[in-house]
Amino acid sequence: MERNQLVSYIKNKFQDTVTLLESGKGESFFQIKPEDLLVFSRAIRDDERLGMDWLSCISGVDTGERFEVVYSVASVVNRIRFNYKLVLDYDKAEIESVQKIWPGANWHERELWELYGINVNNHGNLTRFLLPDNWDQGHPLRKDWDAPDFKRMPEK
Amino acid sequence: MEITEIFKYLYEQLAASGLPQVWVDIVALACAGVIVFGFLAVVALFLVWWERKVSAHIQQRFGPMRTGWHGWRQTIADAIKLLQKEDIIPTLADRPVFFWAPVIAFVAAFMAYITIPFGDGLIVADLNIGILFIVAITSFTVISLLMAGWGSNNKYALLGGMRSAAQVVSYEVPMVVAICSIVLFAGSLSMVDIVQSQAMIYQWYLFRLPFGPIAFIIYIIAGTAETNRTPFDLPEAEQELVAGFNIEYSGMKFAMFFLAEFINMFTVSAIGTTLFLGGWQGPFLPSWMWFLGKTLFLVFVLMWFRWTYPRLRVDQLMEFSWKFLLPISFANLILAGLMKYSGWFNW
Amino acid sequence: MSEAQGLHTKEFTLNVGPHHPSTHGVCRFVLQMEGEVITSVTPVIGYLHRALEKICENRTYEQIIPITDRFEYCTAMSCNMGFSLATEKLAGLEVPERAEYLRVIMLELNRIASHLIWFGTTSLDLGAITPFLYGFREREDILDMFEMTCGQRLTFNYIRPGGVSKDIPKAFIPVCKKFLDAFSAKVDDYERVLTENPIFIARNKDVGILKPETAIAYSVSGPSLRASGVKYDLRRDDPYSIYDRFDFEIPTRENGDCYDRYIVRIREMRESAKIVRQAIEQIPEGPIRSKVKMNFKPPAGEVYCRVENSRGEMGFYIQSVGEKMPLRVKMRGGSYNQLQVMPVLCVGHKIADLVAIMASMDIIMPDVDR
Repeated sequence: MERNQLVSYIKNKFQDTVTLLESGKGESFFQIKPEDLLVFSRAIRDDERLGMDWLSCISGVDTGERFEVVYSVASVVNRIRFNYKLVLDYDKAEIESVQKIWPGANWHERELWELYGINVNNHGNLTRFLLPDNWDQGHPLRKDWDAPDFKRMPEK
Repeated sequence: MEITEIFKYLYEQLAASGLPQVWVDIVALACAGVIVFGFLAVVALFLVWWERKVSAHIQQRFGPMRTGWHGWRQTIADAIKLLQKEDIIPTLADRPVFFWAPVIAFVAAFMAYITIPFGDGLIVADLNIGILFIVAITSFTVISLLMAGWGSNNKYALLGGMRSAAQVVSYEVPMVVAICSIVLFAGSLSMVDIVQSQAMIYQWYLFRLPFGPIAFIIYIIAGTAETNRTPFDLPEAEQELVAGFNIEYSGMKFAMFFLAEFINMFTVSAIGTTLFLGGWQGPFLPSWMWFLGKTLFLVFVLMWFRWTYPRLRVDQLMEFSWKFLLPISFANLILAGLMKYSGWFNW
Repeated sequence: MSEAQGLHTKEFTLNVGPHHPSTHGVCRFVLQMEGEVITSVTPVIGYLHRALEKICENRTYEQIIPITDRFEYCTAMSCNMGFSLATEKLAGLEVPERAEYLRVIMLELNRIASHLIWFGTTSLDLGAITPFLYGFREREDILDMFEMTCGQRLTFNYIRPGGVSKDIPKAFIPVCKKFLDAFSAKVDDYERVLTENPIFIARNKDVGILKPETAIAYSVSGPSLRASGVKYDLRRDDPYSIYDRFDFEIPTRENGDCYDRYIVRIREMRESAKIVRQAIEQIPEGPIRSKVKMNFKPPAGEVYCRVENSRGEMGFYIQSVGEKMPLRVKMRGGSYNQLQVMPVLCVGHKIADLVAIMASMDIIMPDVDR
């Protein structure tokens, strides 16, 4: 499937759920609502023409105003890929776990929880793993995080 | 030949000095013990160096080169370094067991040499049960490894100790059965008799078809396993158990295990020479040179194994011993018995 | 029986790592063992965590390239490549023809170098020490070529947004040709030592079988995936750079055990050598880097870009807000998912198999911990 075809297919199929983002540079980025995550993920995996059976990566982003969680998915069978993202407010930073759909999501979600403090419901194993076990200095990838030995580059 | 003459001369001098006969024998044996001990210490140091050189050349590098000619002083320096090292005993170790394990390993390794003929007449004591004595005494090594594994109070060491106990006991059986077939043919357990029964090269048990080569191969495989060397070095499998039973040992205690391992390798080769390669016998050169040459060749073969093969897994190791080596060695023993009985190839 | 005599067997916990000889870096496994048999595996990571992603948020795009070198130091070229590719997409940069060829040559040489490390450590983990040095001997030749080109042997900082940093010297192509001519015979040598070795086969056959559906579910990528029979190589299936111009096979195997992963990687080295040979024959003259401003500011936007490196999919997600520094760089390494699937593969095997499986999956820690 060409990229244009893919985009229009997804837009047609999931009219109510997705919006195409302009920010994607040469890539397809969609936005979905946090509450649609599980349904949408399952639908794109089980869809015949999409078959997104491959979860490349889950990236968290702190834009300074809100969290974004970007799911990069691909299909081994159909050789296609696209990304979709959730936008979360700081005070409602929680998502559903997609482990039931892609078991490999486990560590990516743990990382979200650990480095951003985004709570992952039904994860089952939210424990420290990248940071030391006794870490108590917050979530380092948040924009407002500062540590004594962490210096920002001076703005010119 | 000359060495034996010198010993005989010294012994006669001692006997003529008027000491009671008991004391003469005790002094003579003590001297022999010291000589063997010194010889083996040198051999162990030499083998460590040689192993490093052999491995280096197999791996297309040079090995130690800086200390003396081709680094010949390297192991001496290493031994001195190990002597000076702090002797660390883990707090939770079982101290007496931990302490005695390397001693037993070392002593067991040396004891075997009482009945090994280094040359014509060069033997400390020609026991009439020589080979049986060696087999019995070398089994002590297992106890020391088990003690080291247990006494260290470390899970890796314990796994290593357990593995080595299982391994050495399993490989002892086919090895002894293989030796039995030789003993059967030689008609004696005495090492000297066994050597003398293969005076000519075609009489070497290695060349007595068909049972000889089979027994030799079984012996070498089992011997490799007995000395815990690759492909059977599971007790100290570095990549799995880090260092196995000797993980907690340091300094001279470690060196004792290390040297004992090399002496065991020499033992296995020396017995192999005696049983299969005609012992000290050979033309032109002095007997001890023949013995040393043949033994070092077998040592080289063991090293060659080590630097070529990967390691077996513990269950495969057991299967190999009990399901493959043992049946073959028994069949071989029966074959040897039939040959002896019927008188075929009875050169 | 044993119960009646008051003897009990008990599971015990064995801690493997973080500084264990065969955990390839500083990975730690907490094993529940029943004698020699593993009943559960818990990987513990984070010992090599260098906060690369946080550092990237504070650097300009050009300054991030040396950081990506540290992301996965065994194949630093592909890290450079992944990030440059993503940046180029984001900023709309062109790459000159010659630079594309140079990139492919370096990437594939680096893939061979990385597979040689894997070959060495795999044999080492199985107790065969000699092949380790054979592998490193050839790797040394490759590193010499890298040094000749960019002055570095491990962290290259070579592939930059818009091209590459330096052209290859005149001596490079003869040296490379000589290496390639000798390389095939060297790989034959490796195979003679291990491939047919009964002990090696016994240790690897039917050990750690990774089923294709498990592999896909856990996003296991690279040779480990292809050994399970899934023909999925990003060089073909999500093409980037100029890989569509070269003729090469994508080796696959059916069983997905350690032995198959070994075979796939060995054959991949040969294929990479083939690509390099074609590339040095076809390479055109021309500029090696398009004009890129210092501290360029890509327009606001986001991109997820992935390349196939020796451990599988290496992905870079970059979000830019139009500043000279990115808002977010997320790095995704192949080993991250490979390590995740380890508990599935290891349970029920012996501790020696854990080492064999870990080696065959070619897991190294820098791209797990980042």
